[in-house]
Amino acid sequence: MNKMEKVVRQYLVQFSLAMAAYMVVLFGSIFIIQANPESPWRVPLAVAPVIPVLFALFAFIQFLRGTDELQRQIHFEAIAFAAGATGILTFTYGFLENVGFPHLSPIFVMPLMIALWGIGAAFTSRRYA
Amino acid sequence: MNNRLRVLRAEQGWSQADLAAHLGVSRQTINALETGKYDPSLPLAFKISRLFGSPIEVIFQPDADDLMLESAAGRDS
Repeated sequence: MNKMEKVVRQYLVQFSLAMAAYMVVLFGSIFIIQANPESPWRVPLAVAPVIPVLFALFAFIQFLRGTDELQRQIHFEAIAFAAGATGILTFTYGFLENVGFPHLSPIFVMPLMIALWGIGAAFTSRRYA
Repeated sequence: MNNRLRVLRAEQGWSQADLAAHLGVSRQTINALETGKYDPSLPLAFKISRLFGSPIEVIFQPDADDLMLESAAGRDS
């Protein structure tokens, strides 16, 4: 297995483990909070699923550090696009909420950013193909 | 930037995947380099030079845009 394949494989393994841990911690925290709504631990329990997400972020940073320069360029451009587009879209939706659109939870911001990053990466990648 | 990568690669009988493995980059990068859609960083250019035993400026030929400097006339007088 060459260097690039190793980097990708390591990323996939780390990311999958982080996502599996996320599911487990998420369901665990929801279950425990619902069973103990007045628990003094409900705040740390509520944010506990973020910890596996931090590992996923770590896995991605490891990937960026190990991957080749073109991939790094592609992802940086894609993330810059995702950040800008996410900012604009959420900002716009804020105005729409003032005229009666349903209030959306901030929890949707990260999935939106990740989706835009994926789309951005696909477009940026094609430029070099 | 124009380059002789494809020729040099063919001389060795390597596929793009082989060359990618030698340089520690992805096959996509090799393709982007060969088609001139991506220019290598300096360290990568030196790796390529070392791999083929040829100077960077023999492998890569900058075009007019790459060589353009800001003209002195454009600055404040």
